[in-house]
Amino acid sequence: MSKYLRLVALVVPMVLLAAACSDDDDGGGASSDTTEAADSGGGSGETVTIVASVPPTDHGWLGQIAVKAQEAADSHDDVEFRLLEAADADSQAAQIETVINEKPDVIVILPQDGDQLTPIAERAMEAGIPVVNVDRLFATPEAARATILGDNYAIGVNAATYLAEELDCQGNVVEIQGIAGISVTTDRSAGFSDTLTELCGDGIEIVAQQPGDFTADLGLEVMEAILQANDQIDAVYTHDDDMAEGVVAAIENAGREDEMILTGVGGSCAAFDRIEAGGLYAATYLYSPTMAGSAVNMARLIALGQGLSDLIEPEVPSRIVVPPTEVTADNVDDLRDLCFE
Amino acid sequence: MSTTSTDAHTAGERSWRLALPSTMRLQEYTLVGVIVALLVAGTILKPDTFLTTDNVRAMLTQASVVGVLAIGMTFVIATSGIDLSVGSIVAAAGVAGGLVIDSGAWAFFLVCFGFALLLGTVNATAIAVGRVVPFIATLAMLAIARGLALQMSDKRPISLISSEPVRWFGTGEIIGQPVSIWIFLAVTVVGWILLNRTRYGRHVVSVGGNREAARIAGVPVRRTVFSVYCLSGLLAGLAAILLSGRLASASPVSGELLELDAIGATVIGGTSLAGGRATIVGTFMGVVVFAMIFNLLTQLDLATEWQQIVKGVIILAAVLIQRPERI
Repeated sequence: MSKYLRLVALVVPMVLLAAACSDDDDGGGASSDTTEAADSGGGSGETVTIVASVPPTDHGWLGQIAVKAQEAADSHDDVEFRLLEAADADSQAAQIETVINEKPDVIVILPQDGDQLTPIAERAMEAGIPVVNVDRLFATPEAARATILGDNYAIGVNAATYLAEELDCQGNVVEIQGIAGISVTTDRSAGFSDTLTELCGDGIEIVAQQPGDFTADLGLEVMEAILQANDQIDAVYTHDDDMAEGVVAAIENAGREDEMILTGVGGSCAAFDRIEAGGLYAATYLYSPTMAGSAVNMARLIALGQGLSDLIEPEVPSRIVVPPTEVTADNVDDLRDLCFE
Repeated sequence: MSTTSTDAHTAGERSWRLALPSTMRLQEYTLVGVIVALLVAGTILKPDTFLTTDNVRAMLTQASVVGVLAIGMTFVIATSGIDLSVGSIVAAAGVAGGLVIDSGAWAFFLVCFGFALLLGTVNATAIAVGRVVPFIATLAMLAIARGLALQMSDKRPISLISSEPVRWFGTGEIIGQPVSIWIFLAVTVVGWILLNRTRYGRHVVSVGGNREAARIAGVPVRRTVFSVYCLSGLLAGLAAILLSGRLASASPVSGELLELDAIGATVIGGTSLAGGRATIVGTFMGVVVFAMIFNLLTQLDLATEWQQIVKGVIILAAVLIQRPERI
């Protein structure tokens, strides 16, 4: 008997799901779907299936993306969650293709490359599966129902503003970038140099700009060579806290930690520790992997047809930009809970 | 310089024996030429900061990690093999050592070496006993070792900042010169002696030259092939210690693509990918050339794409000069 019950329990949601999907196809307009979903969402016991597709979670920040997404999913009883990793843009596209056929309620995508994965995200949307886009923006608005991302340009702006003030608009600055050629790097770099020029004119010179590919190894090697080439460095703007560990090691190995200050991006607990200790590591800018957790929560609300609780609008906003909170010795204690290992 | 090249071709190939040294000399002169050209270019473009004691020291320190790997790679390639896994083994060994750092620096060194040797031995077993093609066996290990590094570390770097002995390998000095340079030089010298002045070295090269002939001549082929992958693994453990010392941490994502630098340096040095011809001095110079390119182009603040282009062109040019003189 119980076997039949289980079968019914399995079939009913599937039928509902199929109905919801076909509604999507016919309806087209987002609002009509939402009302319907909202009705069914009111009743308890419905399970929301969410699949997340992300790049390999081996880097500190991406590793935390996986953790935060899973934590958010675990906090809801009604969420069935699966996280998939893909080594490159091609395999991620293939992976999402497979996921579309499984027809989950929502797909959360942190693309390897926003441009390259736009077509596949559009296909998911056309198939009636809402997409939540995290961190790296798709090329068209049709590719995602909602987007949550940090503001990479603002990170550069904030870091430049901070260093301009600390250096009184005078001195030599080194920039250790992320992976060359991706939008994260370009934006963090542009925000920085634009703002330095705007605030200080020629007062601060960027004497070296080299990519460290977000890894401590390369950060170390690049900084070693840059230290050799420059007698006086007043500040280093790095694009990532993990990479900054290598940069810091190079500076400390050379015994030049009193000559300059350094800023990071991300919000790792190691960076927090250094900021608290004072000295070389002066500031970092939160680019928190918690946005992946928020993305899962948004995905759930979209599936249930609900809005964000403190907003009056009945639906999840289409775009949420997380500001890059500045962490310095002044507020590092207050923000301690937000750092990631 | 010609003495540094070891000729594989055993009895009955006298003409080869005579033909090879001149080719080798040309190859090594080419690299000396490249080094001189880089020195001149550096001195002109960066007169105050390139050819200074400090910077030469920095370049050799940077060369040491790849250098240690490349010496091991020279032995592997001499047997006409390849080891794609060294970069990953560097990460895995560093992390494995990092896990036991609380038990003291000796535990770190022991586990670092031990784990690297273990992974090298797995390569060796797969290739020498299991008869798996080296490219595939070590490609598999590239993935396995990286996976292990990530798994064991929980994807987080392990701080070694509190361990003075580990830090010493990155920042310490012996007679006024960085420790890592001494280690690099020592490994090079020992490698040179092993390859050029011992029966083992002759075995290594003869296995790569003509395996069947070597077997008939009584060379323990399987044992020799087995040993080079163990050696490569062991040196990856040493590289992990050098890198961890400088970084003051062991990161599961470190060492990525180091294998390509090690292979590239070995090949532009004149060691033949087809096996049977190997030169430690050439490898040493190959490593130095890579380090100089990186250092100079970074000092000039040229974008990395230029570094990649220059590096690629040099590899291609070196291999063109080295193209088989007899087919």
